[in-house]
Amino acid sequence: MNEELDSQLSAMFDDELAGGECELLARRLSRDEQLKARWGRYAVIGAAIRAERGVRLNARVATGVSVVMRSEPALAAGAVRGTAGARWWRPLAGAAVAAGVAALSILWLRTQSPDGSSVVVAPPLAALPAARAPLPGARAAERHAGDAGAAPSYVAPPAQRGNAAAVPAPELANYVVAHSMFSPPVTRGTLLSSFMTSESGAAGAATVLAAEPVSDPPRDAQSRAQ
Amino acid sequence: MGADESDLSLVRRVQRGDKGAFDALVLKYQHKLVKLVMRYVRNPAEAEDIAQEAFIKAYRALPQFRGDSAFYTWLYRIAINTAKNAVVSRDRSPIDYNIDRNSDESYDMQGRMKDAETPEGLVLTDEIRSIVNAAIEALPEDLRTAIVLRELEGLSYEEIAAAMDCPVGTVRSRIFRAREAIDRRLREVFEGGLGRTEELG
Repeated sequence: MNEELDSQLSAMFDDELAGGECELLARRLSRDEQLKARWGRYAVIGAAIRAERGVRLNARVATGVSVVMRSEPALAAGAVRGTAGARWWRPLAGAAVAAGVAALSILWLRTQSPDGSSVVVAPPLAALPAARAPLPGARAAERHAGDAGAAPSYVAPPAQRGNAAAVPAPELANYVVAHSMFSPPVTRGTLLSSFMTSESGAAGAATVLAAEPVSDPPRDAQSRAQ
Repeated sequence: MGADESDLSLVRRVQRGDKGAFDALVLKYQHKLVKLVMRYVRNPAEAEDIAQEAFIKAYRALPQFRGDSAFYTWLYRIAINTAKNAVVSRDRSPIDYNIDRNSDESYDMQGRMKDAETPEGLVLTDEIRSIVNAAIEALPEDLRTAIVLRELEGLSYEEIAAAMDCPVGTVRSRIFRAREAIDRRLREVFEGGLGRTEELG
C-alpha cells in the first residue's frame, strides 16, 4: 500500500489532516475496504492503548450497524437541512428578492405614466410648496415644456425672454430685498441685476401666465400635442 | 487543518448519500461509544446494542446535523439519550458508582462476570491488548512516546511537537510509523491465527 496514503490516513484519523486532503481521502475511504479495515485497526490500537475496561475490542457494533444500514435508504442530498455548505446562498437570495422587488416597482411606475412613455415627469410646480414661492422663470419653464409638445423630463431652466418674469414686480422686489442681507455678495448682485432688467416686462408676463392652468401642466402639454 | 475536519468530510459524504462513509465513522467511534454507554448499563453486550442503536439513530438524524458542533459531541448526546431511554424502558438501574474504579482487580472481575456469556470475545480482547502492549514495548522510544501522548493523553500533534521538541511533521511521521508497527503485529495474528480480521471492525 502507498505509504504516503497510509500516513495521510493516520493523520486524518487524528483530525490532523488539511481539509482538502480530508475530502479526497474520505472519498477513497468510503469505497476502499482495505483502507477501511486499516482505519478500523487504528481505532482498535487506540482503544487497546487506553485500556478501555469493559470494552470488547472485537466489538461487533460496526458489523451490526453495517447490517442494519443495508436496509436503510441513502440520505438524499436535498434532505440535508441547514448544513454549513448550503448556507452561502441565503444572502444572495435576499439580494435577488430585493432587486426583483425594485425592478417590479420601476416597471409598475413606468406603466403608471400618463402617456406610457418611460420619462419620469417632474411634479407640477404648483403642487410643490416651493413652487408657490414667486421665483422668476418657473412658469416660463412650464410653458416652454408645453410648447415642445411632450411631457418634460426635467424642470427646464428658465427661458431668458424679455417677458420671462412671471412674478409680479412688487412681490419679487420684496423677496429680493428680504433675502439680500442673507445672500453672498455675488448672488445678491446677480439677483438684483436680474430683477432690475426684467422689471419692465413683468406686467406682460403676468398676464400671459394667468391664462394658463398652472396646476396640471403635463395634461396641458398633452392636449397641446394633440 | 481544522478540528473535526476529518469527521466533517465523512459526514458530508454521508449526507450526500454515501453510506460507505458512515462505516468509517462507526469504526472510529464504536469503542468510545460503548465505553460511554457502559456508564449506564453493566452488560457489555447490552452496551454494544445501545451503541448500535445510537449509531442508527445518528444516521437517520444526520440530515439535521449542521456541523455547529463536533460530530462526536453530537453523537455523544444521542448515545447518552439512547442509553437513558434504554435504562428507563428496561427498568434497569444505572451502574453503581460506589464501585472502586481505580481498583483494576474489582473492575476486571465485574466485567468478566458480566461477559461470561461471550468468552471468545473476552479472550480475543485480552489477546489484542497483549499484542498491542508488546508491540508498543518493542517500539523505539521516540515512536512510543509519540503514540502514547496521542492515544493516551489525547494531545494534538502541535502539543506533542512542543513536548518532544520536534517539528509537527516529525510527530505525524512518528505516530504513523508507530501505528504501522503495531498494525503489522495485529494483522499477522489475526490473518494467520484467528482469522477474525473482520471482527476488528
